[in-house]
Amino acid sequence: MTAPHLAFETFQGRRGAEWLMRVGREDAPAILFVPPLFEEMNRTRALIAAAMRRLAKRGHGCWLVDLSGTGESERALEEVSWDDWRHDVTSAAAHVAGKARRPLIASVRGGTLIDDGAAARGWWRFAPVDGAALARDMARSGLAGGVEWAGYAPSDGLKSALEAARPAGAKPLRTVRLASDRAEADAKLEGPALWRRSEPGNSAALADALAADLLRWSRECVG
Amino acid sequence: MATAPDDAHEVENTLRSVLADVLGLDPARVAAFAGDTPLFGALPEFDSMAVAGLLTELEERLGILIEDHEVDADMMETFGALLTFARDKALR
Repeated sequence: MTAPHLAFETFQGRRGAEWLMRVGREDAPAILFVPPLFEEMNRTRALIAAAMRRLAKRGHGCWLVDLSGTGESERALEEVSWDDWRHDVTSAAAHVAGKARRPLIASVRGGTLIDDGAAARGWWRFAPVDGAALARDMARSGLAGGVEWAGYAPSDGLKSALEAARPAGAKPLRTVRLASDRAEADAKLEGPALWRRSEPGNSAALADALAADLLRWSRECVG
Repeated sequence: MATAPDDAHEVENTLRSVLADVLGLDPARVAAFAGDTPLFGALPEFDSMAVAGLLTELEERLGILIEDHEVDADMMETFGALLTFARDKALR
């Protein structure tokens, strides 16, 4: 089997072009991935890319948004506001809808805090978390490592918006968590919390499980 | 979101799985940890950068809140000390 098509596209951010990575065909049923925030984004990128490849092989077009001030973005994180990130997801979803049709949104960890403004045919959230917990973790990483916020320098406005953020209501919504997570979910999957590890690696088994669950949910959310 | 764990045994299981997950240790090895097994400073995987991830994951899985002033080397020195801390927080 040949590898799924890989492409990089831009969408309109609030202050200029931002980037999307696409795996799979652009006219196939679309899934837009919203990554975790800060260090968790780096730690889960291999896992998300692995899930995207699996879904592309099953006939989906998968996009991953690079939020303003992260990844390929030309903007500095210091200049980015919380509303810029929310706008990124909404605008990226509109970009995808222009290529195919309204996407299913697949958001992970802190990505679940900024995904509810987009026009989507459904929402699938993996390991959602309150912004306050993420902010506490970042502050604590700074204390331990001697570098404030582990080297990230978001604006005070972004920090305070993060601290107040919680996953908002969305319909239809499916929430998936790790089996080790005590909080309520529609499904629990076995696998490691890679976003916690300093050398996360990847988990083929977890990528398989995530892709399988998403595939099922995507078929239920046709529209 | 999380409900409080209902017994001490469950807190212990949670702590072991958090140690294995966050530090990337073999679960069989973590299962053999005893009360006097040294942790912080004794495991190469358990360095100061790993402390934040470990505490945050414990908070999420046990539904607790750990204040910065409660964190010191003593409460992470051995498996037993960390378990006592986690139980005091979760079962209070």
